[in-house]
Amino acid sequence: MGTVNSALSLITGALNADQAALNVVANNVANASSSSYTRQVPNWAENQPVTINGVAYGSGVSVSGGISQRDRVLEQRLQQQRQLGASSSALLTALTTLQASFGTASSNSSAGNVGSDITNFFNAYSQLEASPVSNPLRQQILSTAQQLAGDISAIANSINSQQGSIDQSVNTVVSQVNSITQSLAQMNHQIQSLSPNQDAGALEDQRQSDLAQLSQLIGFNQITTEQNGLSIATASGQLLVSDSASIPITTGSVNGVTHLFLGSTDITSSLAGGGGQLGGLLTARDQALPSTLSSLDQLAYAVSTQINAINNAGTDLVGDNGNAGNVFNAPTQVAGSAQAMGVVMTDPSKIAAAALGQATGDNANAVAAAGLANQAIIQGLTPSNFYANLLSTLGASVSETTVQGTALTASVTQLQTQRDALSAVNLNEEASALQEFQRSYQAASQVFTILNSIMASAINMGVQTAVS
Amino acid sequence: MRVDPFFVVNLSGALDQTQVTQQTLTQDLSSGLRVNNPGDDPVAAAQNVQLLNQIQRDDSFTQTANLTTGALQVADSALGDVVTQLNQAITLATEANNGVLNGSDLKSISGQIAGIRDQVLLLANTSYQGQYIFGGTQVSTAPFSVNASTNPATVTYNGDSGVNTLVSPDGQSIQLNVPGNQIFISSTANVLGTLNSLVADFAGGLSNGGVADLASLNTALNFVSQQRVVLDNSLTRVGLASSAASSESIQLTSVQTNLMQADIPAISTQLSLSKSQETALVSVIAALGSGSLFDKL
Repeated sequence: MGTVNSALSLITGALNADQAALNVVANNVANASSSSYTRQVPNWAENQPVTINGVAYGSGVSVSGGISQRDRVLEQRLQQQRQLGASSSALLTALTTLQASFGTASSNSSAGNVGSDITNFFNAYSQLEASPVSNPLRQQILSTAQQLAGDISAIANSINSQQGSIDQSVNTVVSQVNSITQSLAQMNHQIQSLSPNQDAGALEDQRQSDLAQLSQLIGFNQITTEQNGLSIATASGQLLVSDSASIPITTGSVNGVTHLFLGSTDITSSLAGGGGQLGGLLTARDQALPSTLSSLDQLAYAVSTQINAINNAGTDLVGDNGNAGNVFNAPTQVAGSAQAMGVVMTDPSKIAAAALGQATGDNANAVAAAGLANQAIIQGLTPSNFYANLLSTLGASVSETTVQGTALTASVTQLQTQRDALSAVNLNEEASALQEFQRSYQAASQVFTILNSIMASAINMGVQTAVS
Repeated sequence: MRVDPFFVVNLSGALDQTQVTQQTLTQDLSSGLRVNNPGDDPVAAAQNVQLLNQIQRDDSFTQTANLTTGALQVADSALGDVVTQLNQAITLATEANNGVLNGSDLKSISGQIAGIRDQVLLLANTSYQGQYIFGGTQVSTAPFSVNASTNPATVTYNGDSGVNTLVSPDGQSIQLNVPGNQIFISSTANVLGTLNSLVADFAGGLSNGGVADLASLNTALNFVSQQRVVLDNSLTRVGLASSAASSESIQLTSVQTNLMQADIPAISTQLSLSKSQETALVSVIAALGSGSLFDKL
């Protein structure tokens, strides 16, 4: 029924709605710099009209809060790329540290360079060929051997300590993951109880922010469950969060390395390929570093055992005919031989330059030792070529990871831009919305004023007054 | 079409990137190297190791070759002196064998030949830098000794038949010595033994067997000259291998330098481009980042 009273209450409703809309705009502007905030649009809803005797009378408008402008699929895609990017970046850091222990020689041989050390060591034997009994030349063999062993064992030590520090980082990251999954579970519980059927607004923003943090740390898949809940599983399918319950990752030591468990399942190797910092760290610790270390071990083992064998199959200066002694520390197995490499011979006259049963001036054994430099004694490669191969393999993986990282960064930036274009607060839009609601409020209050004076006229009906 | 309100903020990421590029380029410029880590160019890093290996081997061989050349030259000149001495002995023996000399002259010739034998013995015991060069691989004891108490005197060889070789970087094996028992007392030609026989022949004033021994001495002289050729060959081969090694080293050094060296003009150009990019970005950020519709309300 179209009464002045109902018009008044209708307009009051409009004033309230405008106020609520202004509230939403103010909230948007206040949160404009927050990167996890999703802008809200006021939810204008026309009130149900009242029908009396077949005539419909409108009942105004109401604003019931704001609707977050969010694309769940886009956000999920962004999290996935963030996981890959974080993994690539962590791996690149580890590889860069690893390659720094090798360095690259320029035109002069430099200390700490294994390639030059290998060459100098075998050259010392070549020089001994000219004068097998010369003490300075023999001493040179021992000093180049010490340089070689020292540099190889120093690199092996630095790789081992790098593995130890990555191990510690893994522990730190795991405890961070556990606290985030716990907070996610609580958030899920809140969202499921407060807004099970629609976007949860600020709570959803909080949940997405937690997911963004988690993406930096570990690779995971999201599964939306009923009543606006969320389940999180690792890339290979083990559950980390199931609605309001979270399962913590536990750590344990296996063969001196930290392994990660969910319940009783060892998930370390499946996490390594997953994503996030954990993925990168575990790949570095369990694949990249051990592979380089194992190549170094093979180099150390081959050189040590072959030179020792040659030295024990000749005659030295003090009359030992065979069994003159080991030059290098004899390794028992390939693993660990790089770290344990060292020179045990102290007396240069125990170097067997002569062949078995020959006089001290013979150089056949020195020729044999020098000849090792050209023999394919390590996996079908000469020592120098094997080392060159080690360097190029390491360099190739650094280069590949760098390229991958650049591509992933570009991809993340692009997705971030897309998400921000949709969900971030555009101040120009908010300003024009503000204008619009201001005008709307002014118009409504103007209508109210007129209705008020009409009411006054109605009340004053029948009384002799001047029109006012 | 919607636009990202944070895009100016994202430009700062691009600004960081230009600064990283500048840092890398400056590092290349200051070290002079294009490849500072294996990751910069993996193939070049591997090639560098192999090139340096070859260069250092060639340089080391050049040093070794100097040492062996000295020893070979000493051996060669010793044998040269031996040839001179033997020629003198042949002259004396020929004179003694012509039948016109008397007993005391023959005795005197015997004495002279004994002197020549002692000279040859000294030469056979030549040493170079404290090592005897004609003892095979027995380098610490004098290879030859003569026992003059018997008639004829006997020669003892204290060395062995060992031969040392030097391996050059291109794989040649070069003989470094000729054992004394091959030069001075071999079964083919016995220099010292023949000299001792001649001494004995003429000592008693008679010339028994002098003719046969003279013929043996001629054979021995030819044989010594042949052995000298072996040493000369080794000298030549060492010299050739050494000059081949040093020229290869020079070539490879220039290859290695080109491989590893930073291209300074290219880096300078890239650096100035990056710098101007950075300046442009900074002014874009400053210009675009200001103002929104709120300023006009």
